[in-house]
Amino acid sequence: MTSLSATLAEPQHFSLPEKLLFLVLVIASAALFWRRFGPILHKILQSRKDPDFHLAPIGRRVWNFFTEVICQVKVIQQRPLPGLAHAFVFWGFCAFALVTLNHAAVGFGIGFLDPAAWYGRIYFYLAAAFAVACAIGIAGLFIRRFFVRPRWLGQKVSSESGIIAGLIFLLMVTYLAAFFTTDAAPAARVLWWIHTLTLLLFLPLIPHTKHLHLVLSPATIFLSRDGFSQIPPLVGDEDFGLVTGKDITQLVSLQAYSCVECGRCTEHCPATNTGKELNPKEVILGMRAYLNGPGPASELPILTGEGGVYVSQKAVFQCTTCGSCEFQCPVGIQHLPIIVGLRRGAVNTGTWEDDYGSKLFNQLERGSNALGISALERDKFIQKQELPIFDGTQEYCLWLGCMGGYDPKGREIVAAFARVMNFLGSSYGVLKKEKCTGDPVRRLGNDLLFQQLAEENLKNLAQNKVKKIVSICPHCVRTIQEDWKAYGAPPEIEHHTEFMARYADKLPRIADSGVPQVSRLRPGNETADDARSVTGHDFSRAESAEKKDWALAPAKSEKIVFHDPCYLGRYRNVYDQPRELIQITGTLVEAPRHRERSFCCGAGGGLAFLGEETGERVSHARAKELVATGATTIGTACPFCNTMFRDALGEMNGTAPQLLDVAQLIARNLGG
Amino acid sequence: MKIIVAIKQVPERDAQVRIDSSGKWIEESDVQYAMNESDAYALEEALQLKEKHAGEVIVVSAGPERVGTTIREALAKGADRAIHIDCDDLAQRDALGVARLIADAIRTENADLVLTGLQSDDLGYGQTGVILAELLGVPHSTLILHVEKTDTGLKVKRELEAGWFQEIELPLPAALTIQSGGNKLRYATLMGIKKAKTKEMRVVNAADLGAPAAPVAALESIELPKKQRSTQIIPGDAKAAAATLVEKLKFEVRVL
Repeated sequence: MTSLSATLAEPQHFSLPEKLLFLVLVIASAALFWRRFGPILHKILQSRKDPDFHLAPIGRRVWNFFTEVICQVKVIQQRPLPGLAHAFVFWGFCAFALVTLNHAAVGFGIGFLDPAAWYGRIYFYLAAAFAVACAIGIAGLFIRRFFVRPRWLGQKVSSESGIIAGLIFLLMVTYLAAFFTTDAAPAARVLWWIHTLTLLLFLPLIPHTKHLHLVLSPATIFLSRDGFSQIPPLVGDEDFGLVTGKDITQLVSLQAYSCVECGRCTEHCPATNTGKELNPKEVILGMRAYLNGPGPASELPILTGEGGVYVSQKAVFQCTTCGSCEFQCPVGIQHLPIIVGLRRGAVNTGTWEDDYGSKLFNQLERGSNALGISALERDKFIQKQELPIFDGTQEYCLWLGCMGGYDPKGREIVAAFARVMNFLGSSYGVLKKEKCTGDPVRRLGNDLLFQQLAEENLKNLAQNKVKKIVSICPHCVRTIQEDWKAYGAPPEIEHHTEFMARYADKLPRIADSGVPQVSRLRPGNETADDARSVTGHDFSRAESAEKKDWALAPAKSEKIVFHDPCYLGRYRNVYDQPRELIQITGTLVEAPRHRERSFCCGAGGGLAFLGEETGERVSHARAKELVATGATTIGTACPFCNTMFRDALGEMNGTAPQLLDVAQLIARNLGG
Repeated sequence: MKIIVAIKQVPERDAQVRIDSSGKWIEESDVQYAMNESDAYALEEALQLKEKHAGEVIVVSAGPERVGTTIREALAKGADRAIHIDCDDLAQRDALGVARLIADAIRTENADLVLTGLQSDDLGYGQTGVILAELLGVPHSTLILHVEKTDTGLKVKRELEAGWFQEIELPLPAALTIQSGGNKLRYATLMGIKKAKTKEMRVVNAADLGAPAAPVAALESIELPKKQRSTQIIPGDAKAAAATLVEKLKFEVRVL
């Protein structure tokens, strides 16, 4: 009976000493696993409960679990090759669950999957296919980690992951080899024991290494906080954010222990990529080190600068809150509530000392806008621009925001969008008074100031009977819609690209010749000259800049690269509307990093107000990438991105592309 | 060191004001209020002195109930306790009248140092601090940018015109009026506000202090600044025009 078996060989008749030895080894392995895993679980459960946690809506959780865990969608989508390799290993493990159970049962003589039976045969062959894929996958990942060595995996290559990879490979090989022997052959017994020992060695290694994610990350993904970059409410008089271990919640603990150190967050982080201290992975690992050290009951500070050693305060304040890390994370870690949580801890207790930060806070404590300009300037702009004042009768309140009300470039965007609204015959008005929505202070962690600003604004909007808001600023949109909820019910709000996209078929399209295809609302000569000479407003500071910007006659052949603002894309899932609008007036080209993978302009998270950056400027890195597409025009949809790129392009050599908001791109087709 | 800081609540910097029917004051319901800027610097100076030399910082403020928010802000930033002089007619009182109120309210505190901003952003008399010093019978110095405690008293830096400074020494107790910009202001924190809730805020009624309410100098009327703009085109080539511009900014507009 030495012929090749048609199915998996299983050794028969284990002797009593063999069975006892196996039992002892199983117990020892499980005990070793628990000795490490038990305390971790304890630390997670011992952490403070998340005040805002709701299991509902369960549908979203099930869906996330299905796509992100079972289907490995994010893992594959965002890093196709290693992602696929990982997916094969994961699916291999899933298929192996039953095989492994049966394998152990065989040791006690109670195997339930008969390799000779048809169902056993089908299952073992299926598992064999997965085993081959898994072996190839893990070999690929091994090569990547130890030979290709992408830099975001870190300087230190962990030797344990090499051992783990070896063990997984061995598991698959010993399984597959059993197809080439028979039940009675000594080889079958040897293979069974090697497979068993590999398994029993693997199990206790899991909680000691980043392979802990095998156990935790499915739960992390299932339990993750609803919404993107959702900042939890502060509860009670002692809650100031993440200051000490006592402030660490169960979700934060679970997420910290789930980190698989893949470095996707690092790879996409604008701070890390421009030579700053911040590395989101290190923030998470710092939280884990804190939990392993002082632990969740400790009153030792977490941040450096407050007496802690675990996470750098300086690094935490380099975050632009672009959300790439949170979006990319394949194991459900939500970086932003943690990073903003640490900032809150530092700002709410007054331990963050930064001249620019204090200046911004003081400006908003007594003034109305983050730019520190007199509110009279906003009034002047409204008068010059002849913007209608909102009186409760109009459908829309056009929210200017700090940039739209005070920044020259932002004002141009407002002016252009107002022209589009006039063209469409929309009914709108602007508020007499507006205060900063509190976006920069919210992201910097100043809850006192944010609450004041949110409440004052909500009151003002209610008094003016505002029902619908439209804004040119994605930061205002996000903050009003999501962050104000803690203090009242904000009116409905949308971004101007969403608004314009709804009327896309009414907006004049550009023909190949460059003449907008539209019957003018007002009489006039339809020439390209005419289309470009119209600016619609005349405030002195921006006029010359605008003339230069609009010097290019629009044409269908004009290549326009669209930069996805973080707060419009990742924060709001608006990707298609601005693109649809751009295609009305030119040819859309894409930057290497676009849509969900868009790279920040550097302004978010309050950083626009914090002065000079260390290392390369984020805006310069992104501007270079946009210019390299060869586009003649950069299209933006956020006044912060716009102002960042304006500065970056100004410092670049050669002829920089023109820089226009989507509203300006549309408005230039409107004619006089 | 026991330091008293007299602070005033004034209309917010960007407030759009309307003159009320009496023509003597603004419509108060229109505007939001904030701490007078140079008073904020006086408070910051006091807090820094306390951090260096230990002691107590007490804020005192006169005005109606709304003044409470500004007092709480001062407590949140680190003042230890507060005295609120409750009065509804602050705008009708002259600098002497207000100084009398404050002097009466704080006299029994026997503070080592009394600080206040050099002037208020609304009425801008610039006298309250000086009269207060006189009423308390302590030496004073004005336009102070920097305060240093010495063995015998204080060494202070005064701001004079055209970039000149003067350093003088004076004994304690003393009163100083503080110029804006000498320090960097701290921001109010959530923790500070929560702590402020437990701090003492003593309310005294202006009528009980005995200071006469009738002003010596009565306010006749106020008016809004007249809007005027004049555009000048500076001729010549860029270099010469720039030189002229700098000249004008320096000596005509005086912003450089």
